[in-house]
Amino acid sequence: MWITVKLFANFRENRFKEARRQYPPGATIADVAADLEIDPGLIGMIFIHGRAAELDRVLSEGDVLALFPLLGGG
Amino acid sequence: MGLLSRFSQGSSGELALLSNVELQRYSRHILLRDVGGPGQNKLKAARVLCVGAGGLGSPVIEYLAAAGVGTLGLVDDDTVSLSNLQRQVVHSTANVGKLKVESARERVAAINPHVNVELHPLRLNAQNVGELVKAYDIVVDGTDNFPTRFLVADTAYACCKPLVTAGVLEFYGSLTTLLPYETDAGGQLNPSWRCLMPREPETAALTCSEVGILGSVVGVLGTLAACEVLKLITAVGQPLIGRLLMVDIRDMGFDIVDYYRNPASPTFRQT
Repeated sequence: MWITVKLFANFRENRFKEARRQYPPGATIADVAADLEIDPGLIGMIFIHGRAAELDRVLSEGDVLALFPLLGGG
Repeated sequence: MGLLSRFSQGSSGELALLSNVELQRYSRHILLRDVGGPGQNKLKAARVLCVGAGGLGSPVIEYLAAAGVGTLGLVDDDTVSLSNLQRQVVHSTANVGKLKVESARERVAAINPHVNVELHPLRLNAQNVGELVKAYDIVVDGTDNFPTRFLVADTAYACCKPLVTAGVLEFYGSLTTLLPYETDAGGQLNPSWRCLMPREPETAALTCSEVGILGSVVGVLGTLAACEVLKLITAVGQPLIGRLLMVDIRDMGFDIVDYYRNPASPTFRQT
């Protein structure tokens, strides 16, 4: 199963901005975060095709996943 | 999209009148075809609540004051500390130890004596936030924590007030504008804050005091937030509704990410 992963802010550091990546059927967003060594506790917003999603969401072929860190400063 | 048509005559229902001195002060706005005298009158009639008088709040307060927004409400219970001054440009060294809202009022008075400043030196909570938000036309959120950000967003939604909200950390920032009680051109309700984040983070977010912040990053995001507020008041252009601006100053990248109403997202604070 191929999905597109988009990363933002410091999640891009030593990773990438956007990449097509292959995961086994049944993979979740949490699996992608683990694969990319992103601490789930640092994830703020998660979009699948522009709609908010949770870490336990099972991904589908062709999904566009966007991961944003918590930007909590003001 | 019929955005904020109530500002066509100001929130008071009557057009404010600009003095000759004000006409001169705001002449570069008035020259703008899309702003002009009517737009400047809308700015004078507007009441904007600035939640947070820190890094993001600094340029918001300064630019809205300079632009001639008639009334600025400032919410912050903190005092100015030396470590604030690297980025919180509304405050000065002489004001270390003062309430931030007092310090910011001094700066606003120095920039533009035509602006009325209302001080709210308090921490927002479920008991006080409603009355405060209801008293203003637009809310700008530059707070430094997610519990307050959720509280402000839910309340602005419940009170049908536009919300411009930004966040920053290290070299990065985000900005969006929320009018979730209005519909888009297709008749669909605009997304809410909870379409971005359905619930508060379980872990406390990293803060600027923990991982740092490049001082000018808050200047960029706060200035863009001020632009959104001025656009909303004057009904100029397209605000960032359903669009999340992500700013990467480290690599100087600006991305706009579309997002949509999520029917599954909780509407307001879950109890």
